Amino acid sequence: MHITFVKKILANGEPCGKCADVSMRLQRDGYMDRIDRTVVADERDPYSEGMRIATEHGVDRAPFFVVEDVTGRRVFDVYFKFVNEVMKARTSDVEAARDLLNQNPDLDFV
Amino acid sequence: MDNPNVHIQLHEPTPEDILLDAASRFASDKIAISFSGAEDVVLLDMAHRLGIEVGVFSLDTGRLHAETYRFIEDVRSRYNLKIEMLMPEASAVEQLVREKGLFSFYKDGHNECCGVRKIMPLRRKLSSLDAWITGQRRDQSVTRMDVPLEQVDKAFSTVDHTVTKFNPLAGWSSADVWSYIRTNEVPYNPLHDRGFVSIGCEPCTRAIGPHEHERAGRWWWEEATQKECGLHAQNIIKIVNR
Repeated sequence: MHITFVKKILANGEPCGKCADVSMRLQRDGYMDRIDRTVVADERDPYSEGMRIATEHGVDRAPFFVVEDVTGRRVFDVYFKFVNEVMKARTSDVEAARDLLNQNPDLDFV
Repeated sequence: MDNPNVHIQLHEPTPEDILLDAASRFASDKIAISFSGAEDVVLLDMAHRLGIEVGVFSLDTGRLHAETYRFIEDVRSRYNLKIEMLMPEASAVEQLVREKGLFSFYKDGHNECCGVRKIMPLRRKLSSLDAWITGQRRDQSVTRMDVPLEQVDKAFSTVDHTVTKFNPLAGWSSADVWSYIRTNEVPYNPLHDRGFVSIGCEPCTRAIGPHEHERAGRWWWEEATQKECGLHAQNIIKIVNR
């Protein structure tokens, strides 16, 4: 299995807050050493590797994970789903709900 | 023809078509309408007229307007419905309030509170359903411009369980909705008469002016941070066109 973690640098050069949050949770949950590559999608540089990977996979949000194994390639843009399906572990329901909202901002509108 | 959206209606099934189709494809205990206590009452009226048997649920965050609770009750008796009120998990609300107080959303943003009070109960409910029906429309916000009539709900689907989402009103405008309400004498939330367009929780909803967008009535204090997780589309388009 090969896991690529793509995080974003904002147009103003600041690190993306949600990417920092996911990085912190990867560390906290002990998964950082399972990440094979960390790549930056730099909004100031449309040709940065992370932006290229996002285009290749049709991803329009960051952070996200690209997981490659014998079954193929899967992309996860929600942390708790990555943890559930790749790490075979569970996050708390509160964190899962927050992840869902972060990646699906319309859900608050129900 | 004086309806500016007639071109959409000519090419799309009607909301009634979508409701009938949805009800025919899913068992009545596996599909439900999500009713927010606002304009989506139109869906309940349509389902009632069509004689469709589907469940109905509302997310009772505990922070709705008194008018909304009364309206939900009016709808329940008018249509003789069993509306399932989904409550947040008490321990999660208690922890949030204990740690951050009752109005943390004004300072920390609304996602944490919405997560606890809406998304957790919704996720719990959708894990027991195969499909749900919403009142989402393309004209409600820029993030809804591409809302399809039917979609696999990727947010709530898992590897083992696919959830389908129907949005029968996707192609309707607000004017279409209100035309239906007036024509069919559908009951509506009295807050609409006081300038509320989008109606959610009381602390996070306000009346808007005639030229303000619907979204301006919700979480108005944090507008600038709404799209922080998005990757700039312009940049991606540049790559594709290179």
